[in-house]
Order: sequence, then structure tokens, then C-alpha cells
Amino acid sequence: MARAMTRHSEAQSIPVSFTLNGRLHEIEVEPHELLLDVVRDQLGLTGAKRSCDVEVCGACTLLVDGRPVSACTTLAFEVRGRSVLTIEGLAEDGKLHPLQQAFIEHGGFQCGFCTPGMILAAKALLDENPNPSEAELKHFMHGNICRCTGYKKIIESIMAAAKKMRVKA
Amino acid sequence: MQFQKEVEILAPREKVWQFIWDVDRFIACVPGCKEAKTIEEGKRYSATMVEKVGPFKVEFPTTIEVLEREELTHIKAQASGADNKIGSRMKLDLDVNLREQGDKTILGFVAGVDILGKLAALGHGIIKRKADQVLDEFAQAVKTKLEGDR
Amino acid sequence: MLRRFRLEEPQSVAEVSELLGRFGESAKVYAGGTELLLAMKEGLVQYERLVNVKNVTGLNEITVTDGSVTIGALCTHHQLETSAALTEKLPALKKLEQNVANVRVRQVGTIGGNLCFAEPHADPGTLLIALGAKLITEKSSSKREIAAEDFFVDAYETALEADEVLTKIQVPVPSANGRSAYLKFGYLERPSVGVAIAFNLNGGVTGVKVAVGCAGPAPRRVAAAEALIEGKSKDEAERNLAQAGAVAGRAAQAISDLHGSQEYKEHIVGVLLKRAFQRALS
Repeated sequence: MARAMTRHSEAQSIPVSFTLNGRLHEIEVEPHELLLDVVRDQLGLTGAKRSCDVEVCGACTLLVDGRPVSACTTLAFEVRGRSVLTIEGLAEDGKLHPLQQAFIEHGGFQCGFCTPGMILAAKALLDENPNPSEAELKHFMHGNICRCTGYKKIIESIMAAAKKMRVKA
Repeated sequence: MQFQKEVEILAPREKVWQFIWDVDRFIACVPGCKEAKTIEEGKRYSATMVEKVGPFKVEFPTTIEVLEREELTHIKAQASGADNKIGSRMKLDLDVNLREQGDKTILGFVAGVDILGKLAALGHGIIKRKADQVLDEFAQAVKTKLEGDR
Repeated sequence: MLRRFRLEEPQSVAEVSELLGRFGESAKVYAGGTELLLAMKEGLVQYERLVNVKNVTGLNEITVTDGSVTIGALCTHHQLETSAALTEKLPALKKLEQNVANVRVRQVGTIGGNLCFAEPHADPGTLLIALGAKLITEKSSSKREIAAEDFFVDAYETALEADEVLTKIQVPVPSANGRSAYLKFGYLERPSVGVAIAFNLNGGVTGVKVAVGCAGPAPRRVAAAEALIEGKSKDEAERNLAQAGAVAGRAAQAISDLHGSQEYKEHIVGVLLKRAFQRALS
């Protein structure tokens, strides 16, 4: 059970029961707490980054019920009754997800700052559309910004992962 | 941001000049301005400016200083205020001119307005429009007040 | 970090309206929060209470009845971009919704929230004006309809009263020969210029509606531009597009800012109007 460090006596407390990376969590949050802060500071999952803080860059992308959201601009209580996936939850039993593997094999990251958000967004894309065209991929990933790679390797990584995942399925 | 306004008032120059120094009545012409106080007659005044753009509201406690004064002709003033709640500051440089035109008085003013801080995030365009609106309403209110008292 | 606020979670529109009436300016409707939370994070606004409207049922449906598509105010952009009804009946709106902001904003942002926040650099309002949409609103005891072209009063300001809630957007389904298009332009995060056009093509060009958004404080219908195309043959209408574009540009009330100078924006309005007309025809 995770709790915030400080609580006002009159604070409104909202119980939030949710699935995080496949496991049930029950926490309490105040209405104004942001999902990114709860995930990073209370739950210690620092893969999601605070970068632009205005929902534009995608570095804070988390998947809620499989769909990408900007954790920097999501109130934490909104995940009650839902499932949340962070980058830390992508690998299963120590085995990297095809997307993670592909990013490594194809050089899809340099500094790595945008990468957790990038990979989660790509996962949401491929869950929705297992065989995207490049145009469809670019449209979906338009909201995830990278300063290092110039995007070419990111696109290659995602396409390669998509291919592997289609073969497996 | 620079603004220039001119308004024709059907009233003699002396009357308009007197009106300007009647702080309560003059300040009442500025939309959103309230609680006008004289700190030093002819030199320093204070007021609170409340402006709203949609849901964004600012309250600037403002100090107005008269820098130059030429009887019946010209006033140069400076005003500044800060809204600490919203983290913004306002600066206004004002040049007021009066000239006679027959039985009318032309009241003209040149205003330099600067908004600093968070409010500027709303966008230069929005703020400029608002400032323009305020100054327009102000000029009209002065005209109406003066012409109405006859 | 946001400042503390109290969360209210009403279950009906009447309750929402009552809360807004009771708490006035210290309370605000909260749906997707994609605009509101940003303003709150910036410290530009502060509220003691946020009224979470997402538990009110019946406001996130898209229904098609005779001649119109009714869109619930709580429909997210994602719902709209993936709606079969919109794809079939209002393809221009579906395309617009597909290109709002980014995939994360589309996931949680609502059409109602977008319209009510009335941020100048927004897309939907402009096209809804050109499509002749009506906004259905409710307060504790009454309902009313506001034409989209009358809804946007100024930047961040709508015709909504303090305790009034937008519930649905009703869009007339264009006739078989109805054509419409929305084009936008911008390199910053939000669009700098948006132009929408809608008309019927039956011999000539009739029932023209032109709207311009993003460049000025609020999206506006431009009757003067419409008049230059209304009732003309397709070719004559095309010849008049340059002039109509210039008229629409001036009507945009464009202000010089980071998005571009007034002249630049006016010019882009003209370009987009021409292209939107061609796109609508194709």
C-alpha cells in the first residue's frame, strides 16, 4: 500500500484500486495529484519522464487500458478501476518485448530519454493496427518527439517489431 | 505594446483638465479599475485593476506616478502593478494631451503597456486586444461622463 | 504540482448545473482536462472545486437520426475519429478529429471540452460553424440551442451561462450533393490558421458557408466571403476564390504574434480557402 508523504487533515482522499503492470495496487490519492508524480515518486517507476509537461512531447506516455495518455496531465484518480502499463511492465519474466528488442537491434534510441514513451506508444499502435503503413505509423507516433535519432531508426525498429509480432501471432 | 487613442469631447479644456484630477471620477472611467486612492495629491495615486479574459482573471494593485504636468496641456504618468497570485506584472507609460478645437477638447493619449510573467503565456495577440479594448472603453467613458454633465 | 482542489462527482446534468450555480467562479467543469489542467499547471487559473462530469451518463454517444448526427459533449476526439457514423455521414469532421493535437490528447480530450474552453487555436469550432451545427445546452430547469456560429464570443469565452452545461452537438447531415472540407496550417504545437467550407453542388454552388478559425480570437463565419461564391457556377466560384480569400482573411481578425504576422495569416487564410474549395469538390 503506497501513501503520499504529506497529507492535510482536511484533504479529500480518493481510493484508487488499479492494475499496474499486471498486478493489483490499492492506493489513496488526493484529487490534485498527477499520475506521473504518483507513478514516479510514490511507486518508484521512473521510466516515464517529465519533459515538456504540456502533453506535447510524449516522454510521459503511459498506457491506460491499452491506450496512450500523457501522465503529466492526467489526474491520478482517473486510473481507478483501470489497468496501467509502464515501460517497466513490458518485459515478461525478464524477456524483452519484441519492441524493446527491436529498438536495441535497430538503434531506435540514443540518449534514451524519449524511449519509454516511444515504445509504449508503439505498442498501442501495434495493438490497434498490427500492420501499419509508414504513413499510419507516423500519424500515430506524431505526438512522440525525439531529439536524437531523427526518427528513421525509430520507424525501422517499430516496423521490424511489427513484423516479428505478426509472425508470432 | 503601443496604443494611440484620441477622443473628441464637447466640453471646454478646463473642464476636461479638472476632471482628470478628480481621481475618483477619472478612475471610475477605467474599466476594471476600483479603489482609487490619492497618496500624494498631484503626484501619486493607487488603484486596483481587475481584468478578465475568459476564465483568466488578474488583479493588479497599481501605483500611478505623475512624472510631468503642464497645466491644461499635458500629463506624463507611469503605472505599475503586480499580481502575485498569477505571477504577472503590468507596466504602463502614459502620455495624455489636451488641445482645444473650437468649443471641443481633443483628449489624446499614447500608452505603452507591458505585461510580464505568466499572463504573457496567453499570447501577445489576446493581451493586445484586451488592452486595446480597455483603452477604448476608457476614452469613451471619459467622453460620456464629461458630455453628460451639462 | 497542482494546487489542491475538491473533486465533485455529480451523476446528472442537473447536478452539474446546480454545483456550478452554487459555487460560481470557484468551480469548473472537468472532463478530459487537456486544456484545463494545463492552465491550472501554469497557475493561470485556480479553482476550489473541479466538477468531474464524466460520470454523467448519456453524454458520450453518437446517434444518427433523420437528417442529423448528434454527438454527445463527452465524446472524445478518439471516439469521433473512429466513429463509423462520422466516417459515413460527416467525413470532413472525422478527418478533422483524426488530426486534433496528438494521439494522447485525442484519447482523453472531449469535443465538448474543446468547444467550451474556446481556445483560439482549436479546430472543431471552425468546421462545426461551416456545417451549420447547433450546440444543445442545459441548465437546472431548461434547455436551449445555440448555433455554432453564435457560440464563440471571444478568446476563451463562449455564450454559455455560468451554470449552463453543453450536452450535445447536433450536426445536420449534408445532402447527397453536399461538399465540405477543413484545412489547417501551422508549425507550432497548435494550428495557426484553420479554414472550413461547406456547400451544395447542384449545377452551381449554393448554401455556401465559410468559416475561419485559429488566426483570430474566435472562429467566425464569413458571410461576405460566402456572398462571392453563393449561387455562382463552379467555374465562376473558382474565379472568385482569390477575392473571397482576401475577404475571409480580413474577417479573421488576425493578430500578429508567434504564429505569424497579421498579413501572413490573412494570406494563409486565402490560400487555405482556395485549397479547401478544391478539396471539397474532389
